Order: sequence, then structure tokens, then C-alpha cells
Amino acid sequence: MSDIIDIEVNHLQAGYDTVTILDDISFTVKRGEIFVVIGGSGCGKSTLLKHIIGLHRPQSGEALIKGYRIFGGDSDEQDRAMRSFGVTYQNGALFGSMTLLENIMLPLEVFTDLPLEARRMLAEMKLDLVGLKAFASYFPSDISGGMKKRAAIARAMALDPGILFLDEPSAGLDPVTSDEIDELILRLRRTQTITFVIVTHELASIFKIADRCIMLDNETRGIIAEGSPEELRNHPPHPKVDAFFNRKSMNG
Amino acid sequence: MTLILPEKISLADANQLWRETLPAILRLTKGESLVLNATATRTCCGAGEAFLVEVYRRSIMQGFSIESIDPQHVIAHVFDFFDPATFIEEPKNVEHPNTHALVQIGVATTRIYKDVLHQLAFLGEVTASFLRVLFRPGRLRLRDTMLQFERTSVDALPIVMLIGTLMGLILAFVGASTLSVFGAEIFVANMITTALFREMGALFTAILLAGRTGSAYAAELGTMQTNEEIDALITFNLKPVRFLALPRIVAITLATPFLSLFSVFSGLIGGMVALYFMGIPIVTFWQHVLLTATFTNISLGVIKAFVFGLLIGLVGCAHGLQTERTADAVGRAATAAVVGSMVMITVADGIFAIICHILWI
Repeated sequence: MSDIIDIEVNHLQAGYDTVTILDDISFTVKRGEIFVVIGGSGCGKSTLLKHIIGLHRPQSGEALIKGYRIFGGDSDEQDRAMRSFGVTYQNGALFGSMTLLENIMLPLEVFTDLPLEARRMLAEMKLDLVGLKAFASYFPSDISGGMKKRAAIARAMALDPGILFLDEPSAGLDPVTSDEIDELILRLRRTQTITFVIVTHELASIFKIADRCIMLDNETRGIIAEGSPEELRNHPPHPKVDAFFNRKSMNG
Repeated sequence: MTLILPEKISLADANQLWRETLPAILRLTKGESLVLNATATRTCCGAGEAFLVEVYRRSIMQGFSIESIDPQHVIAHVFDFFDPATFIEEPKNVEHPNTHALVQIGVATTRIYKDVLHQLAFLGEVTASFLRVLFRPGRLRLRDTMLQFERTSVDALPIVMLIGTLMGLILAFVGASTLSVFGAEIFVANMITTALFREMGALFTAILLAGRTGSAYAAELGTMQTNEEIDALITFNLKPVRFLALPRIVAITLATPFLSLFSVFSGLIGGMVALYFMGIPIVTFWQHVLLTATFTNISLGVIKAFVFGLLIGLVGCAHGLQTERTADAVGRAATAAVVGSMVMITVADGIFAIICHILWI
């Protein structure tokens, strides 16, 4: 892990319309770090992600990706910011009318001048990386949920982004498949020095992959804990953190 | 042949390698050798890695040998992950559907056949559940039906009346341009009344509703199918036809005659305005309208509208419930619902015309 800061979030206030869901969120993510956002359902994890990647404009504050702003700068700056990361969504969000290979070739076609055979080879290699080369000509509706998530990771990596945002990459998957995705994430970080920001609430995968995590809470609308998963488990700064890591019911 | 790779193989470098260097490499034959000099190379982008894999793949296929000078292990690193031998077959071509004309005709025919079967089965199911509801009216979901009725009728009123008014206006002008030659402008009123009540009111309202409501039904039910909501209903032992389709079909069947009458009425107003400017007094116009608007004319229009509404509801819901589970399937279902409704409306109108001719109505 280097000391270069890839993502910087400053006093971000996030929400929809007049409702504020998160207030005064600040953190930084270093290059090559696996940064995990945790918290109970409905605490704004996905909201935070959507505001960092520019799907929604923050109510105040800012998020810098590789030093570039998505909102507030000129279109060139926005372009640089948007090009430096890849995103996978909760259900994969693959384009249903295209095969897996075409799904991955699409960003290459739009954003590069590479000849067709280069795009095809590159797309096949990305599928190979996530173990889906044999399924290149399948349609998303023909493959399983875990395969869709892996294919979505392959698509997000098509343009070699330095940063990957993953929204619940292992939710709803069996432990073995979920473990495979964790392995994939660790391998990609090791080999391609990718920075990961991952939203999840799978404890096993948090302990396996996270370098550092933050926990969000819907009552305080902010970060209630920050640190490595081991630190948070052994010295929880907040009862909710203790409950999360040590699986205690808050009512009992 | 020797190829010296740059220090950082960027996307632009990779593009150049693919476009300019690869054709030269493709000319190498068995026995020749390629030296890849990566002494200076430190980083390599994905497209560059793809180039290296392609070069090794070609060497296996064409039989030339490769010697790599790779002190930084950049090339070796690529092959830690990718085995060029597994890429030996040509990368899979994306499969395109067979476009031979005969095949297309065959595929279309079987699709139409299946479609008709589905429609018939659906019609049977609707009839069965309608009869059951007739005997026990409490089983019809009244709230849903009222809600759908409101959406289909009241919400569509402005557009139906706008189109109706313009239709009356246009009919009046077109009719007057011919009849004025004979000095018979006043009979434009009779013509408009007959045309609107018997034909245009119901037909235009139906076409409008096919686009507005039929497609909405198909898209709504199609999305529910995609979201597995229909499956959820079935596992609760609730029949999708009774629960979802019947309220919609009842709503649109009852709404279309009302809308059609509103459309006729607005058409008459439009015609009245047009004729007023041609010098025909309003009272005279309405006298002619009342003479022409016989019970037969009015009831024929209402019956037509009733049948058209039923057809739109049936076709829309049938296509919605048959939707496959992809996003573009929902779009296709909506399109099929509109096209199907229009065809059915036209056919039904033709049948009405024949019946009226035979019965001298």
C-alpha cells in the first residue's frame, strides 16, 4: 500500500431531495487499500457510494477521486474522475441484450480506439481473470447470480481503472462463491494494485479482505467507527460496533 | 524480427502495437523468430497484455519462435495469469441469429402459432375467472378495478377530448369543402354526427387507449413478471389472471364506451365551431345532430367501444403476463400489445361493418 491518496471525502452531506441521510462524512482511502463500508440495513451505505461515484450530487461537501472532482469542476475534470474508477452494482447490472463478451467490449468500444480483435482479446482476458472465459457467449439471463457479479467485476475492470467500487459483491451468494469473489478481490489488489471501496455486511468477507473499514449509523447519520476489523472487534468504540462484530442483539 | 517495447505500455502504445506491429508479426512463418525486448518495460496496460497474449497465441498457431528479454518480469507476469494456449481457438465470434429468409419465415410462423395458442389459453382463463366472479362478485378486487378505471378513464379524458374536438373540426372542414359545391353545407352536421357516433368516436378512442393503456398494462405486468412478483402471487395461490388481469380488463372495457361518448361530444363541439364560422347557426346545427343521432347510431358506437376496450385489455394483459425475464422483453411486450390491439380493433371494426351491411343497420 502506498501513501498516495486515491479517494478523499470531505464533510460530505448526502441525501435525496430534502431528506438528509448522511451528514459530515470525511475519510480518505489510500492507493491499493481495500476499504470497506459497513452498517445495518438502511444506514446509507449505498447512498454514500452513489454520492462518491457521482450518481447523485452531494447536498454539501465534496468527494475527490484521484484528486479530481466530479461536481464543481469543468467537464474535463469530471471526465478524468469518471474514467479512473469502475463500479459494480448490487445485482450486476449487466446489459441483458448483450452477451458477456459484448458487455465487456462495450466500454472498450466507446472509450478506446483499439481494433476489434484487440477489444475481443482484452474482453476475453478480463473474463478469464474472473473465471468466466467459457461463458463468453452466454447472455446474463443464462448464468447464475454469482457469475453475474463476477462478470460485472470483469466489466468494471475493462478500462483498467485504478479504483473499483463494489456494492455488496457477495450478498445473496453461497459461502463458497462468496469466498471466490473475496479471493478475486485480493488477487486483483495484489496483481494490479487496484484500490477497492466495498459495501458489504458479510462478516467473514470483512475479516478476510478489509484493510480498514468505517461503520455508518442511521441515528447519528455519520461514521461511528473507523479502523481495521480486528481493532473494531476487540476494542469496539460504540455498542453498535460491538453488536455488529460480536453478533449481539441490541435488544437482548 | 526484434520488437522493443516502451517503458510504460500505455493504451495509445497498445493501440499502435495492435494496429501497426501486429500485421508484421502475422507475416512471420515457421522457423523465423521474434525477439521481444522488454528491458525497459515496467508497466503494461490491459490492452498491452492482450497484445502479448495475442503474439504468443500467433506463435503457437504459425510456428514462429519467441525469445523474450524480460529482466523486470513484465511479460512473465502476464503469463502467470493468462495461458495463451487456452486462447488458441479464434476468440469466439458473437453469435448472430440465422438471417436466412426461409428460417426467418419459419421462426415467425411458429411464433405466431404459439402466440395464438397463448392468447386462446389466456382468453379461456379470463372467461373462467370472469364467470366465477359473476357468481361471486365479492371475488373481484373492487379497489384495484376502481383505481384502474380512474387511470384509464378520467386520466385519459383531456387527450381523448382534445383529439375528439380536432377530429370534429377536421371532418367539418373536409366535408364542407365537398358539400359546399352543391350548396349543402348544412348536411355536414348530419355527416359528422353519423361518422362520429357510428365509427370515429369508438375507433379513435380505442386507438388512443391501445397506445396509452394497453401498452401500460403490458409494461406493468411485464415488469412484475421480471421482478418475480407474478411468481410470488402464484405461490400464494392467487391466480394472476383474477388478481391482476381481470380488474384491468373490466376497467378498460367499462371505460372505453364512456370515453368514446366524450370523444363524440367533443367532436360535435368542434364541428359546431367550424360550421359556425361557415355561417351555419348553432341551433340549426344541433337540430340536425338530434335528427341524425338515432338510438341505432348511438348504441352501435357504444357496443363497438365496449368490444374494442375488451380487446385492448385482453391483448395488453396477455402480452404482459407472457413477458420473458429480461429488460428488453418488457419493451417488446408493450410494443406487441399496441400492435396486437390495433390489429384486433381493425379486424373487429371490419366484422362490425359486414354485420351492419347484412342487417341493413
